[in-house]
Amino acid sequence: MTAPRRLQTDHVGGALLALMGIAIVVLGLNYRMNTLVRMGAGFIPVVLGVIMTVVGICVALLADRDAPPGQEKGAIRTRHFALPEPPDLRGAVCILGGVAAFVVFAAYGGLIPAAFASVFVAALGDRGNTWKTAAAIGAAMSVFGVLVFHYGLRVQMPLLAWGS
Amino acid sequence: MEHTLMDLWYGFGIAMQPHNLMWSVFGVLVGNLIGVLPGMGALTTISMLLPLTYVIAPVPAILMLAGIFYGSQYGGAIGAILLNLPSHPPHAVTCLDGYPMTRAGKGGTALGITMMCSFFAASVGIIVMIFLSPLLVQVAFKFGPTEICSIMLLGLLAGATMSRGSPLKGVAMTVFGLFCGVVGTDVISGTARYTFDLPDLADGLELGAIFMGLFGIADFLMTVNRNPPTISKAKLSMKDMRPTRAEMKEAFWPMVRGTAVGTLFGAMPGTGPTITTFIAYALERKISKTPEKFGHGMIAGVASPEASSHSKTQVDFIPTMSLGIPGDAVMALILGALVIKGIQPGPQLITEHPDIFWGLIASFWIGNVLLVILNVPMIGVWVRLLRVPYKYLYPAALFFICVGVYSTKSSLFDVGEVAVFGIMGAIFLWLDFPISPIALGFVLGPMLEENFRRAMLLSRGDLAVFIHKPISAWFIGACTLLILAQVWAYVQRVRIVPPPVPGSELIAE
Repeated sequence: MTAPRRLQTDHVGGALLALMGIAIVVLGLNYRMNTLVRMGAGFIPVVLGVIMTVVGICVALLADRDAPPGQEKGAIRTRHFALPEPPDLRGAVCILGGVAAFVVFAAYGGLIPAAFASVFVAALGDRGNTWKTAAAIGAAMSVFGVLVFHYGLRVQMPLLAWGS
Repeated sequence: MEHTLMDLWYGFGIAMQPHNLMWSVFGVLVGNLIGVLPGMGALTTISMLLPLTYVIAPVPAILMLAGIFYGSQYGGAIGAILLNLPSHPPHAVTCLDGYPMTRAGKGGTALGITMMCSFFAASVGIIVMIFLSPLLVQVAFKFGPTEICSIMLLGLLAGATMSRGSPLKGVAMTVFGLFCGVVGTDVISGTARYTFDLPDLADGLELGAIFMGLFGIADFLMTVNRNPPTISKAKLSMKDMRPTRAEMKEAFWPMVRGTAVGTLFGAMPGTGPTITTFIAYALERKISKTPEKFGHGMIAGVASPEASSHSKTQVDFIPTMSLGIPGDAVMALILGALVIKGIQPGPQLITEHPDIFWGLIASFWIGNVLLVILNVPMIGVWVRLLRVPYKYLYPAALFFICVGVYSTKSSLFDVGEVAVFGIMGAIFLWLDFPISPIALGFVLGPMLEENFRRAMLLSRGDLAVFIHKPISAWFIGACTLLILAQVWAYVQRVRIVPPPVPGSELIAE
């Protein structure tokens, strides 16, 4: 029964919560606490941070349930870890890249480049898409975006404003 | 009574105004459309279209959101029955018997039964809402900050513990949501909290950004390049959808029972629709003479959960509108939209904004009739839509999310927030945390804090005030019961199921 306990979902989750809780408390102590009658700005967040830390520790301590082996494919299961399958790296990078592309091109290019870039980059994340299909979806969404968002809903963004 | 009918008549007048009707139809259509698409539930749809509400008047805005809500529920059932894909968690139960029916060539009948049950249940839910809301409002006027605090606490606890997964994790996510609500300028003292000196954060986190990050981007991150979608070869025509007389008879009582379960749970804040459908299904199986047939295409297994989820949906609007306490994440979002529009939900809503309240109720009926009319001829289109591959779908949805969030305040900072919350949501999902309590916490957070501080001010810092006031004491009692029930359930689980012997699989490796 004294087999090594492996790091698993709830250990990580609990630790993450506890860390967040502690960070919230530490930052919250900068604000005024005052008394229960006249609570300062820091009172509620510090209480929330404390609850979060305690719950996080509980989650980690109660993590003795081990997921049955081989149930999820792609899960990380080694001598020291038992964690579920993480998101697909290419997909994740491209999806976040798509959002980033939108921000950059919306700031320096306008709606059309932003639409094309975000859809194109995001579409590349799926292993079933090629450069060509991604570009095609991007072009289609640019047309759609201009019609619906610019002319239809009048979103406040110039169609093309290169470099501004 | 007569007064209520007059109000309802007035509501129909509002809902039938061409402008309002147009947005309602639009919402129902879009909700239905997106609800059918795999991987897109009511939450994603509403958060994507939330920015649209900023440019239109409050009444059509709320009618549209409500339309999306029940439209996507209808759509979700289609995906669940034909493809075994529950795009909205409550439909997970519908899959159990709906999909076997499709495989047995009875998919059309299952959809027909679903429509019938949904319409019946929604109508009952609307009637309950019409007659219960004014009563609830009378009670609600007795609510001071103390009572509001304790009922919110009950709602949050129920939302946290009764969603899927571990109750402890639900509580953790609720607290995280409450904390997200704290970020920004403190209303009472004016102190900027957790803004890291970023001026963009002074107004707090953006509701749309949080929701789209958590329910949109996080979902894309977890789904991409995984779960190859199943392709349905189901062919359907309108004729298949009409259930036979015997099937109608078989579905009737489960439908009534499901509606009753949904109505009962709808009135309780914090109980999500998922738990409701599971209870309705379990009830059917318990009282059925042939429980072993469940899971192999029982009509009752489709009728009862679908009816419960629709009546629950309608009744859910009661605590949301009259007390300002949303039952689940979708309601929280609709509540958030109201707040953005400058309308404070609560007991005053019905008297101060009768156009919204009664217009909404009337639009429910119109919307549900529309859904039946729409879905019968459109079913062929939905079946084809179900085959749109995910690889085309999510990049387009991502773009909508970006534009949608940007248009709220013309702020690119908010689009960045979406990405941050997308990453956080993905981490939480990966670590098996439920994410919808975050939404509930975020929307209720500022209200809870304000009322708690006010209650403490009034009671001179005496925490016992929550037990001394009778209404509040009831809610606190319910909270205590809820916690005790969870602890009891946990102890039982540990005692009955011995933990698996650790190390047994290490040998295999």
